[in-house]
Amino acid sequence: MRQILLDGMQWFLVACAVGAVIRILAGPSAADRLVALNVLSGIVLAFLAIRGVMEGQAIYLDVALVYDIFGFLGLLAIARFLKEKAMGAGEDE
Amino acid sequence: MISIVTELIALAAFTSAAVFGTAGIIGLYRFPDPYARMQASSLCGTTAVFSVFLGSLALAPSWAVATRLVVLMAFFLVSGPTGGHIVARFAWNSGIDPWRPVSPVIRPARRRFGGGKVERAKDSPLPPESGID
Repeated sequence: MRQILLDGMQWFLVACAVGAVIRILAGPSAADRLVALNVLSGIVLAFLAIRGVMEGQAIYLDVALVYDIFGFLGLLAIARFLKEKAMGAGEDE
Repeated sequence: MISIVTELIALAAFTSAAVFGTAGIIGLYRFPDPYARMQASSLCGTTAVFSVFLGSLALAPSWAVATRLVVLMAFFLVSGPTGGHIVARFAWNSGIDPWRPVSPVIRPARRRFGGGKVERAKDSPLPPESGID
């Protein structure tokens, strides 16, 4: 029962991640891609938590915590970079 | 006996995660503009992922895993909505108009980065310095 639950949730998260990746590739604007990237970050976090509980290894959860911190910082950096790029394009006009 | 109770708790949490995650992914495809998509994806990103954490916490095999899950949940409660806020501010500052059902005449002002300069559409009936924003 426990294994069935964890396996089912794991494959559901894989399906959600595929949906988010398709949205990242197909998103018409940069804001759409950032939204999908935010979702994908959360899904990968949940996937790592599921794997850690399934294997009984706490190291997966350490990796998940560091991944969350760096995903958040990466989102901040990407938004800042795109903003500076847009401001530079506006000054050129 | 205890294992049956924890598995039932995990089943409830995972069912909730499946429902909210499916709704979030569907909303990511069906909604018309980045703001509405961000609403759907915040639903997915916060409720579904947090339900997965709660179910994993019920099924945790040892205290080492359980305490790390609690720390992860506390950090996720801070970082998830903050990330959504960053994305929303980026979308608003980059001049994306919010979707509205019917807008034959009145168009919203566009704003760009840096400075509060507002550009109106040429056929907009609103005066230049007042209005929606």
